[in-house]
Amino acid sequence: MQRVTLFYLIALLFTSFSLSLALPSSAQSSDEFIRAEVRNLADESRSIRKAAVMALAKTGDMRVEAILESFKLGELYLWSDVVVLCKETFEDDDYNEFCRLVDVLTGEPMLDAGGKRYEIPIEELEEISVSRAERKLANNAKFLVRLSSPDNEIRMSGAKKCGDPPGIIESVPQLEQMSAHDSVKKIRYIAKESLLLIRLNQTSLEKDAEPHLAIVSELGNMKSMRGLPRLQETYHELSAGLALPEATEEEATNTYKFAIDQINGYQSFVGGIGNIFRGLSLGSVLILMALGLAITFGLMGVINMAHGELMMIGAYATFEMQRVFGHTPDNPSDLYYVAALPVAFLTAAFVGYLIEISVVRHLYRRPLESLLATWGIGLILIQVVRIRYGDNIGVNAPTWARGGLEVMQDLIVPYSRCFIIVLCGLCVLLIYYLMNHTKLGLRMRATMQNRNMANSVGVNTQRVDRYTFAFGSGIAGVAGYAWTLIGGVTPDMGQTNFIIDSFLVVVTGGVGELIGVICAGLGIGVLTKVIEPMTIGPFVVGAIWAKILLLLIIVGFIQFKPAGLFSPKGRLSDV
Amino acid sequence: MFKDGAAKQLTDFLQAVGVQKQSTVTNHGISFLVPWVLFFIGLVVIPVLYYAGLITVGTVNMLGRYMAFAIVAVGLDLIWGYTGILSLCQAFFFSLGGYAMGMYLAHHGGPEGIIDANGWKIPACLYVVYPYKVGEAPADALVPWFWKPFYTLPVTTILGLLVPGLAALAIGFVGFRSRVRGVYFAILTQAITVAGWLVFCMNNMKLCGTNGLTRFDRIAGFQLTNPNVKVSLYVITLLALAGVYLLCQHVVKSRVGRILIAIRDDEPTLRFSGYKPYIYKLFAFCLAGMIAGLGGMLYAPQMGIFTPTNMEASASILVVVWVAVGGRGALSGAILGALTVNLLYNFFTSEKNLLILTWKAEYWQFVLGSLFIGVVLLFPGGLIDLWRRLAGIIRQRAII
Repeated sequence: MQRVTLFYLIALLFTSFSLSLALPSSAQSSDEFIRAEVRNLADESRSIRKAAVMALAKTGDMRVEAILESFKLGELYLWSDVVVLCKETFEDDDYNEFCRLVDVLTGEPMLDAGGKRYEIPIEELEEISVSRAERKLANNAKFLVRLSSPDNEIRMSGAKKCGDPPGIIESVPQLEQMSAHDSVKKIRYIAKESLLLIRLNQTSLEKDAEPHLAIVSELGNMKSMRGLPRLQETYHELSAGLALPEATEEEATNTYKFAIDQINGYQSFVGGIGNIFRGLSLGSVLILMALGLAITFGLMGVINMAHGELMMIGAYATFEMQRVFGHTPDNPSDLYYVAALPVAFLTAAFVGYLIEISVVRHLYRRPLESLLATWGIGLILIQVVRIRYGDNIGVNAPTWARGGLEVMQDLIVPYSRCFIIVLCGLCVLLIYYLMNHTKLGLRMRATMQNRNMANSVGVNTQRVDRYTFAFGSGIAGVAGYAWTLIGGVTPDMGQTNFIIDSFLVVVTGGVGELIGVICAGLGIGVLTKVIEPMTIGPFVVGAIWAKILLLLIIVGFIQFKPAGLFSPKGRLSDV
Repeated sequence: MFKDGAAKQLTDFLQAVGVQKQSTVTNHGISFLVPWVLFFIGLVVIPVLYYAGLITVGTVNMLGRYMAFAIVAVGLDLIWGYTGILSLCQAFFFSLGGYAMGMYLAHHGGPEGIIDANGWKIPACLYVVYPYKVGEAPADALVPWFWKPFYTLPVTTILGLLVPGLAALAIGFVGFRSRVRGVYFAILTQAITVAGWLVFCMNNMKLCGTNGLTRFDRIAGFQLTNPNVKVSLYVITLLALAGVYLLCQHVVKSRVGRILIAIRDDEPTLRFSGYKPYIYKLFAFCLAGMIAGLGGMLYAPQMGIFTPTNMEASASILVVVWVAVGGRGALSGAILGALTVNLLYNFFTSEKNLLILTWKAEYWQFVLGSLFIGVVLLFPGGLIDLWRRLAGIIRQRAII
């Protein structure tokens, strides 16, 4: 049910996206208008040509971009009072040069009445000469076209481009209008930012310090990331010493410093939130891993060192589905990822089931021995996968998991990580429901508390064990499935990256309660990602020291709570 | 599997507190001979075979390395087989010892010599991955301070034992004091091993990164490539193994040894009767750590290179499998297991042509994995137990 809904959601998103691209917009000018203005490009008068470029730029029609590019490159010609495009010429046997005409607007070959391509001797074409200034104008106008586009993405990229150095001065009036009236907030912001950046270039600190500094503080207030490098550059020049009056220099230094600090402060704030988010998604994967471990340890007293390999199997099952569906970045087939979820779960669960009936069932309540035996299973699984697939494979994320949602200015939340967090939440809910509201869960808890008693009142504890172990393994498979979105897949990924971390989650959280695993998983995930980019003096902590620091924290924590956050009390605790 | 029943616990406990003198854990009968037979083969037969030209010096060298592993295994048996603490950081202690000796060897090895401002010759392997150029390092000193104590052999030997011992002390202190037990302790030690491995892999730690310590040349003035030096190292390793074996045998037979066994079998009861188990555990753990360090020190010159791979998590678990295959709870079993598994490794990692298929080195992982599973499921007592059972059958037949 849940998967079907998800599928429809994706399908809906996908279709609406493609529709928005295909729908013609009412704002588009008529083809006749564009043709008329294109004719003016060939006018004798320089002012008319200039006006034509600007008028074309205002249309917001993306086809104009190509026309202006051709205009710039001198590919437009006048032929019997029609402006045509000629990209290629060819010669006949007598070395006469001919040109195949192309329509400027549609980009398709022009045909005569008989349906034959126009092939015109090159002498009949009149070249439209383009001056240097016009070439520059046309080049800038390409971005001006974008400013009038009805498509938000294109408009945004245009607004951004206009402000990038050296800045397109012709765009100022339109940017002003956009920064006040555009329907999209983000575009209003970018337009204003570009506007300020252009003005920052126009005003110099030496001549008109007052308006210049006003712009600087405005950029600071906007927390403009794009402004930061330019502010820093000037700030360094300032501290190196510019020929300025003393009072101005002090004021300028202060204003610049304040603006830079403002931007940097905001950036580190946003970066911090981003790190927490990354930590949450890492923690989610850890939770998915640790849940299975905690349940099997609690239920059977078995440590499953092959749990990381079950995760790896989930990831490879996803990869296998990608191959079956033929999904590649160029030729996406997003359905594969939907299909891979049950496949990853079932494959890992099946392998887990086999492990249970072949090895683990002999090792109840013997955690140390089970640790050794399952490590051996892990070695075998790794080697099987390595021989079959080699050392490195690439799982390509489905198209809907690319990109992200901009929650705040400069804070982008990747869809893939959102998906993982949601998936983890659903799995936790499912497990909670299973444990507390189903017959299997009831039997599971009964077996966990007192195996002999449960057995004697008719619970088939052996079957309960099998299903539980398989279920925990399946959840590990789902963890591997989720991990393909954010990390690499190798045969020994479980052994090197996950098994120890997820055991630390179990150790920290305690074996008894789901909530312990969840708290510890999120805590360890977030702490890892928060510590990693921190700096101590001139040194960045980095991944390795973060891991070691985290380990120290956990060891310190165990000193106070040896049995974990939420540990069972009394006799149950003496495993 | 050690909780065999209340009665056994009680006897063990009584032994532990010294009520009963009779020990039930020593090796009886024929298995008592195993270590001495092995020792005789090692000390007499192998050198004789070598000087008779029947085996190459490479084989002797290989056996020497495996004996260094056996030393580690004996240490692990003391802490796991007798005290019941599964430590997964023996490879870490082993590497600490190995790095100590490796640094000594690197000081005296390598062809090229760059002398820093203080007159220290920078080891060739360190120079390759050094983060600074000559003259750029702070205070113009290229050789880091922690390399300097390892210049002379006596200091190196002492530090090679002391550093792993202190590391074990620190780990054991935080672990045992808060009563981290069983699997929890195993996982904790494995995490520490992984952390140590990551640190030793970093290039800017000035420990030569993943390249490891290389370019060994001479030990105490003798060329390492000389066959006689190799044989001598082999004999030294063998003697060290015998010494370690006797030391551990002495420990497990002493009063402390009984308490260690009591800890293994029922720690809470021991605690309730007034003992402080964690002190004994700490003692055993430190001893095992130092023994592992000794193994590393003997391994480095025989291997000719020492890299962080010796410290990987899998290396630690491998030590456990040596002991498990040999039979834990018997020190001779640990030796037997280490030698057997490593000889199997040597055998199975060479390519062979079987009748229809080719045996490839990569299949070794399957053998190893099956060993892990098999020893746990089928032979929980290990080879030594198998030997005992066989001997028992023979004896019964003989009586009949």
